[in-house]
Amino acid sequence: MAHEKINSCVIVKDLYYAVEDNTWLKVNEDGTVTLGMTDIAQSMAGPILHARTKSAGTARKKGRPIATVESGKWVGPVKSPVTGEIVEVNEGLAGDAQLINRSPYKDGWVVKMKPENLDAELQEMVTGNDAVNAYKEKIERDGIQACQHIEGSDAYD
Amino acid sequence: MEDLEGKKILVIQTHGVETPTRTYSPLFYAMAAAAMEMEVMVWFTMNGTNQLKKGEAEKVQLVKDSNVNLKTMLEMAMDSDVELRVCQQSLELWAMKPEDLIDGVEILGATSIIDLALSYDHVMYF
Repeated sequence: MAHEKINSCVIVKDLYYAVEDNTWLKVNEDGTVTLGMTDIAQSMAGPILHARTKSAGTARKKGRPIATVESGKWVGPVKSPVTGEIVEVNEGLAGDAQLINRSPYKDGWVVKMKPENLDAELQEMVTGNDAVNAYKEKIERDGIQACQHIEGSDAYD
Repeated sequence: MEDLEGKKILVIQTHGVETPTRTYSPLFYAMAAAAMEMEVMVWFTMNGTNQLKKGEAEKVQLVKDSNVNLKTMLEMAMDSDVELRVCQQSLELWAMKPEDLIDGVEILGATSIIDLALSYDHVMYF
C-alpha cells in the first residue's frame, strides 16, 4: 500500500479519512465499504483491551458508533463516516482487540457497511495527498505525539 | 450481544479529591456507557462534590507524569455527552457556592435524585 508517515504515524494514501473522527474507509468492489481506526487513533488509545462492535444488520447514521473501544486509559466510540447498514463485523476483534493496534489498516478493520449515500459522503472525506496534508495540520494543531507501535505491528517500516 | 442503545444509567459518586483512586473509575464507566449510546448522568454528592470546585480536580493525578488528571477526565466525560449534576445540599458541606463549580455542572435538589433513580434503567453507586 502506498503510504506516508507523519511523526511516525502511517497514512495509507488510497483510503478515505474522516480526519476529526480518526477513522478510515475503503471502497470495496462489491459496493460495500470497510471501516476502521487510523494509526493515530490506535496510538492515542494505547493497547486496546476490548472492542465491542455493533451487530451485522444494524442500521447506522453517519456519526453514530459502529463500535466501542477501550484501553487502560481511554474508552470511546468509533464513529461511522457513512450512513448505511453493517453487513459484516471483524470477528477477530472479539478475541484479540489488539489487532487494531498491530494492523489498523488491514487485519484490524472494524466493520463492513453497505452505504446508502456514498458519493456525497466521500466528498466530505479526504484521500491521497489531501489526507496527508490534513493529518499534518491536525497533528500540529492538536499537539499529537509520535505514534507508538506495539510488538508485531505492521507499521510499514 | 444485546443492543444497549438508549438505556439510561445513573452513576452516583460519593468520593472526592482526598481519595484519588476512587475518582477515576466512575467517570470511566460513564464514558463507556456513553460510547455505547446510553444516556448517562453522574450525580455528585457527599465527598464527591468537592472535585467540582474550580481548581481542585487539576490537583488529582493517578499516574505520575501523565497528561490526564481528574479535571481532564471530567472534561472528557462532558465531551462524551455525560451529564454532570451536583447535589444542592452537598455544596454547603464544602462551603461552595454555585459560582465555585466548574463549567458544565448543573445543580439539582434531593428530590430530583429520587425521581432520577426511579426513572433510570440502572443506578451505579460509588
